[in-house]
Amino acid sequence: MMSKLIILIISLPLFSALLTHLLTGQLGRCVARISVAATVLTVFSTAILLWLSLSGSLVGDSIATSHWTVLFYDPLSILMALVISIISLIVHIYSLRYMAEEAGYGRFFVLLDLMTASLILMVAAGDLITLLISWHLVGVLLYFLLGQDTRNHSAYRYAFWTFITYRIGDLPLVLAAVLLFQAFGTWSLPDIFEQISQNPAAHEVFGLALPEVIGILIALAAFARSAQFLLHTWLPYTMEGPTPVSALMHAGIVNAGGFLINRFTPVFAHTSDVLQWVFIVGFISAIIGSVLMLAQNDIKKSLGYSTMGQMGFMIMECGIGAFSLAIYHLIVHGVFKGTLFLSAGSIINSARKSDGVPKDDLYKFVVEKQPASTPKSWLLMALITLLVPVTILIISHLFISADYFQKQGAIILLFFGWVTGAQLIFATYRTYAQNLWRLIFISVVSFTVVIIGYIFISHAFDLYLYPDAALREQLYAAASIEKIRFDIIAAITTVIIVASWIFAYYAERSGKHIRYKGRTWITFYALISREFYMTDLYTRLSRTILSTSNKLNVWLRWN
Amino acid sequence: MPDITLLLAALFLPLFPFSMVFNAVFDRLQHVALRSLLLIVWPHIGLAILQSSESGVPTWFMTWALATSLLYAFRMLALRGVGQWTSFLATSMWATIWLATTDTSQEMLQFYALAISAPLVLLAFLSVGLEKRFGAAYTGLYGGLAQSIPRFTGVLVFVILAAIATPLFPGFFIMLKLILNSSALMPVATFVLLGIWLLWSWAGVRLLQGLIVGTASQSEVTGTTALKDFNLITSWSYAIGLIALVFSSLYLTGGLS
Repeated sequence: MMSKLIILIISLPLFSALLTHLLTGQLGRCVARISVAATVLTVFSTAILLWLSLSGSLVGDSIATSHWTVLFYDPLSILMALVISIISLIVHIYSLRYMAEEAGYGRFFVLLDLMTASLILMVAAGDLITLLISWHLVGVLLYFLLGQDTRNHSAYRYAFWTFITYRIGDLPLVLAAVLLFQAFGTWSLPDIFEQISQNPAAHEVFGLALPEVIGILIALAAFARSAQFLLHTWLPYTMEGPTPVSALMHAGIVNAGGFLINRFTPVFAHTSDVLQWVFIVGFISAIIGSVLMLAQNDIKKSLGYSTMGQMGFMIMECGIGAFSLAIYHLIVHGVFKGTLFLSAGSIINSARKSDGVPKDDLYKFVVEKQPASTPKSWLLMALITLLVPVTILIISHLFISADYFQKQGAIILLFFGWVTGAQLIFATYRTYAQNLWRLIFISVVSFTVVIIGYIFISHAFDLYLYPDAALREQLYAAASIEKIRFDIIAAITTVIIVASWIFAYYAERSGKHIRYKGRTWITFYALISREFYMTDLYTRLSRTILSTSNKLNVWLRWN
Repeated sequence: MPDITLLLAALFLPLFPFSMVFNAVFDRLQHVALRSLLLIVWPHIGLAILQSSESGVPTWFMTWALATSLLYAFRMLALRGVGQWTSFLATSMWATIWLATTDTSQEMLQFYALAISAPLVLLAFLSVGLEKRFGAAYTGLYGGLAQSIPRFTGVLVFVILAAIATPLFPGFFIMLKLILNSSALMPVATFVLLGIWLLWSWAGVRLLQGLIVGTASQSEVTGTTALKDFNLITSWSYAIGLIALVFSSLYLTGGLS
């Protein structure tokens, strides 16, 4: 009986959208309160469902609502539904006043409710048709949300970029759904996953095992939705839409890629090479997103590229088999990025009055690029930088499992943790401080708290989302590469990073600062300032297509 | 040599270059009732001819149909006239019906044709509405409809979404069924169908943006000029039509399971 709560959770925002639309004329701007109240109820109902799930009171994990409609109420869908409804509630409440002066106030809340319903339906979809419908509708609704201001051509231009990228991402999912139906004769995901688990090599497509092909198609759909490299240009440019929509998009909608990969876990567990490619795409996106973020001078665009980098990292986590970690990451990212977007307006407003930056030594270091000299030995600092983070990481992971270091995915995560920690200490060393040891101590403690929190919470996520240890092992195995190849890549990367740090330390101490001159540097700067010419390329491509279409029409006399 | 009846069917379930006949006729007809009649009756004539044909549909006919559908979907991208957009979309969509002829009952094929035509009929009516208000139904000429005639715009948005096979409308389920069939018969056709679907979406959004986005003149917004929005009854009539289309999709989903 309680399992039917999932139907209520999807219906509440739908009902609210209908009511908001019908009563806008009578209630005016007060109509938004219906929408907020319905979202509060949705959060409350989802929280009850999560509590039931955690307490083990729920029987089964899916419910059939018609002859082909199946809805999941498994840990993944419940957790994601709670995240979506909470973010939606925050956006609703924020919009009450933020959108008060805008035209189409009622329409905005109708669209928000429909978006909430579509997103929850997407995470709860237990059959391929429902998944396709909700996946497609999210793109359509986002287009209209981004184009809330119907006078703004620019907003619609970039909303179109989003729409068309999402449509491109829909197509691999449609293909995957059709191939799965042909192979197994059912749209039901639980049935399909069960059959795949029993005999993964039973079907072949294009000369490849079916899970391999489905894995590729699902990954492609996820890449488009999560703004991975080559399909990312829409994300930083959709800042013309209302800020609450940006918050909802960056905190919730772009995470759909990570969710989709998680939903198809039983398929990815039986792939051989797909996850490695997923890792590479995520890695490239993370690097490019982060580099482009640093090159922006517009706070919202910078946040857009930051999201691209974070999504890249989330996809990378999937690529190493740490699926539950990706879910944890997308939740944490959603919270902090939503906060950043919702506060961006007030920051811009206060910055117009005063930039609020004290012109002290830290300002000179950060803005004027004047590194302060420190009296500490560079060799000692280099050793601390290299050893402290890795010691913290190893000790924290040993609490979770002694054989943790046997997994390649864990090693990669450790590596990233180490690089981040070391970078933190390195940056601390370069800043001017009255008491450097105190500052380093604070940095190390913060790092330790973050790492321990991250490791323990992600471990808890692992146990909740994927209680089947065998499935977790299968995933890690699917994400692994040959040991010798892995060791060589890890060794080369470590040597490059450590050598760079030592070089930077030495240059810092001896005053031999790197001079950013020369053709290579200028070319690189031109590339990142033009965002690798991706937008220019796509604009040229679409103009060529439109022009060809026009020529064809003229040639065929418009008939 | 194909059966002559098949070639005749290719005129009514239009395949290029025979499709130019339908588009020329549609263009000549100015009255909305005649255009609507044409949209409903034309493909059914084709289906009736096809049923009377004694020979089966050869595979190369499917390729021809796909090429026609792709050609018109591609050409839709550059169109600015709503009427022409309607006839091109009809041509592109009806051509895909050929792919279903091998394994779909005649009743279902007729339903497909009707479900494809229905939103286009609504669009034909809206096109006339635009002509009455502005003298022409072209994108990029006036814009700002969302501000000046919001109810009309709401209906227009939903009708175009229905026409380009957005989920919950029958076109979506028809496309899903066609892709399902084609992936078994001609795997390449699957990719082409997906591309066609993408082009419809692109063309639909371009049409919408050219009409609804922009700043309406103050006189249009305040109603001092002769721009009349839909009244409640008209809006609800269109809404009921669209809801009926959504419910008809449930009939189609039966065929998917």
